[in-house]
Amino acid sequence: MRLRIALHNEAFEPLDDLARWHAELQAQSHPRSAAESLFIGRVRGETADGSALAALELEHYPGMTERQLEQLAQDCGTRHGVRSCLIQHRIGRVLPGEAIVLVAIGADRRGPAQRCCQELLEALKHDAPFWKKEWHRDGSSSWITGNTPF
Amino acid sequence: MGEPPANGIRIRLFAGLREQAGWAEQQWPLNAASEPPLTPQQLWEALQLPGPLSSVRIAINQQFSRADAPLNPGDELAFLPPISGG
Repeated sequence: MRLRIALHNEAFEPLDDLARWHAELQAQSHPRSAAESLFIGRVRGETADGSALAALELEHYPGMTERQLEQLAQDCGTRHGVRSCLIQHRIGRVLPGEAIVLVAIGADRRGPAQRCCQELLEALKHDAPFWKKEWHRDGSSSWITGNTPF
Repeated sequence: MGEPPANGIRIRLFAGLREQAGWAEQQWPLNAASEPPLTPQQLWEALQLPGPLSSVRIAINQQFSRADAPLNPGDELAFLPPISGG
């Protein structure tokens, strides 16, 4: 499985990153996958209590986060027999509307591609050490202690 | 801080737990593996960290671990509050 994981401390454009990933795979003579499943997560404009959000701050555990993402991707990719996996994740201050995460899975069939994409996304939400802090318009902030409903 | 001395344990806190405790990392002196072994649970209690230990996850040397896992000189121990990635 071809795997790339990157953490961005500035805004990234998921579709541009995806195009670069495709070009890189092609340059390595990696045939285009017949099935590809994508997930793009963006910051909502509201906090958990419904008030306006100024920004999200994403903290991570340098070293462990990258290692854990790689382990989760390898395990999930092997389990589903997929051909490629791209994970891009933001860290630092992220504004409403900006992308937080991109997961792109290439496989021979839609089933493995979609299942792996969904499973890997849930795994990274629960088992990769990231933490989100909501910044409110009035300058106050609060840590989010769980994930949004599925 | 730089690399921990080989005879100590580097203890790290993150996110809300770091803010509650008021510190990000500490060195705990440990010259040799102790008997019975020192564990994350013992350090959580000795450091009087806030809340129940069951509310956090534990990592030793950047791998998820258990509260009763033995600690050795040179280890990096982290207490991780609830994760919210993606």
